[in-house]
Amino acid sequence: MKLLWLNLLSCNGNVHSFLNYPHIEKFLEDFSFIYHPILETSYSLQDIVSQNIDCDILLLDGTLEDGHTKADVDIKTIIEKYGIKAKKIITVGTCASFGGIFLNDEDTKYGLHFRQKLEHNRYKKLKNKTINISGCPIHPEILVNTLYSIKKEYELKLDQYLRPKEFYATTVHNGCTRNEYFEYKIDNHKFGNLEGCMFYDHGCQAPYTNGSCNKILWNEVNSKTRVGHPCMGCTEPTFPKNNLFETKTNMGIPQYLPLGVPKRAYLSLAGVAKAFKIERFEKKLMDN
Amino acid sequence: MIELIEKIEGEAKLNFSFKNKKIDFVDIEFASSRHIENILKGKNPLDALVINPRICGICGHAHLIATVQALENCYENIEISQKAKIVRELTLNFEIIQNHFKWIYLTLFPLLGFKQNIKGATYPSQLMSKAIATVGGQYPHNSYAIVGGIVSEISSTDLIKMENYLDEVIKFYQDTVINANVDDFLVCENIEKILSATGDLPKILNTLKNQKIAKEGKSFDRFISFGDNSYFKSGRGVKTKINHNINVKYVNEHPNQNSYAKNVKFKNYYYEVGALSRAMINKTPLIKDSHRRYQDSIFSRILARICEIPQLLIHSKKIISQIDLQEPSYIKPTIDISNIKGTGVGIVEAARGSLIHKVSINENTIKDYQIITPTQWNLSNGNKDDLGISQKAMVGLEDTQLAQIVFKSFDVCSVCTTH
Repeated sequence: MKLLWLNLLSCNGNVHSFLNYPHIEKFLEDFSFIYHPILETSYSLQDIVSQNIDCDILLLDGTLEDGHTKADVDIKTIIEKYGIKAKKIITVGTCASFGGIFLNDEDTKYGLHFRQKLEHNRYKKLKNKTINISGCPIHPEILVNTLYSIKKEYELKLDQYLRPKEFYATTVHNGCTRNEYFEYKIDNHKFGNLEGCMFYDHGCQAPYTNGSCNKILWNEVNSKTRVGHPCMGCTEPTFPKNNLFETKTNMGIPQYLPLGVPKRAYLSLAGVAKAFKIERFEKKLMDN
Repeated sequence: MIELIEKIEGEAKLNFSFKNKKIDFVDIEFASSRHIENILKGKNPLDALVINPRICGICGHAHLIATVQALENCYENIEISQKAKIVRELTLNFEIIQNHFKWIYLTLFPLLGFKQNIKGATYPSQLMSKAIATVGGQYPHNSYAIVGGIVSEISSTDLIKMENYLDEVIKFYQDTVINANVDDFLVCENIEKILSATGDLPKILNTLKNQKIAKEGKSFDRFISFGDNSYFKSGRGVKTKINHNINVKYVNEHPNQNSYAKNVKFKNYYYEVGALSRAMINKTPLIKDSHRRYQDSIFSRILARICEIPQLLIHSKKIISQIDLQEPSYIKPTIDISNIKGTGVGIVEAARGSLIHKVSINENTIKDYQIITPTQWNLSNGNKDDLGISQKAMVGLEDTQLAQIVFKSFDVCSVCTTH
């Protein structure tokens, strides 16, 4: 299959995250890039914008901005030319999906079909063939396996933000090694410790962020929350929120609750859990 | 003649003018900007730890460390454990190492007429990414260094894993890049010995010689490096005369008429930053020998970068052994950052050279933020009477293809430059 990877306003983090895919040589045997921002390709960016080259999947990486040009051609012209002929379009990362980190107050920057949560119609005719792979950066396994699913013609169910449910139906909280501290509402996390849950004080968004970070580990070895780094919600349209290392609370209750859990259910459960003092969770894991 | 330079973590335009068939001037233009400094203004200071790694997908970790140092520098007193300092230095080294491998096999190889070597780029860089993820959770784009230390506790297993990743990369470097033992290589002081050996490094250097371009790409022979740590020394110099007494207050940015990228000078001069500068300031014997024969040409520039890999691999192993696991990873600052009013500077050596962050905070808000990236130093777009480093290196060449090789020998990072 022929892929076109087009960089817009981006940091190239998705490109480098993709290069972390462990079987990349095999991948490059199964797919070929007509253009890629780093890998050698048979066509240059000049060729891409001036000619009409065969392309099966268009990958867009980065925030779209009005008036932005690539090789002196407006990106809208390029996206429409290749978007219409491609079988599928993938937005690679949160910037191309929702606008991401580089959004400003003006309405001149956006993702392909969304500006944060708001859907827009600038590229309406491309919507029915788009898959959004959000994440800042993308997880290489998620991008690559989505591409293989397209190649093998498996049906990918998408959520309301066009993300494949296969990877975004569960929350990042699933598989976190700190889950017991969450389950039993132990709210004394301190940075620099193996123990504790960052949901209560330190802004962890994992319980209400859709993603697979603790299921498909990063770099095959770890995840942010496992080391004690709060989830910043980077797969969501709202990324980045403000005050990222703090949990916003109302009367001591976290403002954002685990996905789909009503406040009453959360409070009842928390009340019961907090009624018990469980010694194992009060001390360091490695202590005698 | 305008040439679009692609695959430099973005694009840039070089507008060449010729006189008597030789390049007389080059105008360097970057056509976009993401205005990160404006995005940061008004944010919670700690949010910069999440925003700033996203300035750059290839050296974002350097941006994280520069950010945390700038924020900590806003304090009059703040205690950071030695353990946290060492781990931060390690992850920064790991990022530099992976950057260098990608540059050799994805950028340099095709420039010299070889096919890109995907495995050569990705195998060692994936190992270094794993080493960062071991303590930082993931790579790219983590924010594991926070004001007061690092978020992760660090166990003895983490140290073992990091050491094993380093050993694996050392083995790869020995087998592929130098076809020799790194310990022997690191004490080598004679470039002729390297040229007569086998492996990808001798192959690259001999190609430069065979194509008769080894002495091309000389600039002003002015070097600067700010980010001193347990390996790199700070200093500036002209040729081999090094002065270690430098102050960041003399670094200034100048707007640029034709480009979104600002020019950077120390006092009134442009300086080269990066592996060659670090090696000249550190007085690395092999690079000094290369400089004696080839000065600050592409030969020395390329050699310095490839030689820095084993230096950092071995040094990283050494500092892992200095970590005291009993020390805390994080010491909660006695004053919360929301009560701090001040300005701070964070400087680190990133793969491509000195990276400077300056922040001003008050009432839990970023009032001002300034970022000076390594590529801004090397690619400053001066005028005919006051050429920037890479402009000087290209002026006088006869062909634009060679000029591209010289230009890319600085390993241009377009995204950093257009922050």
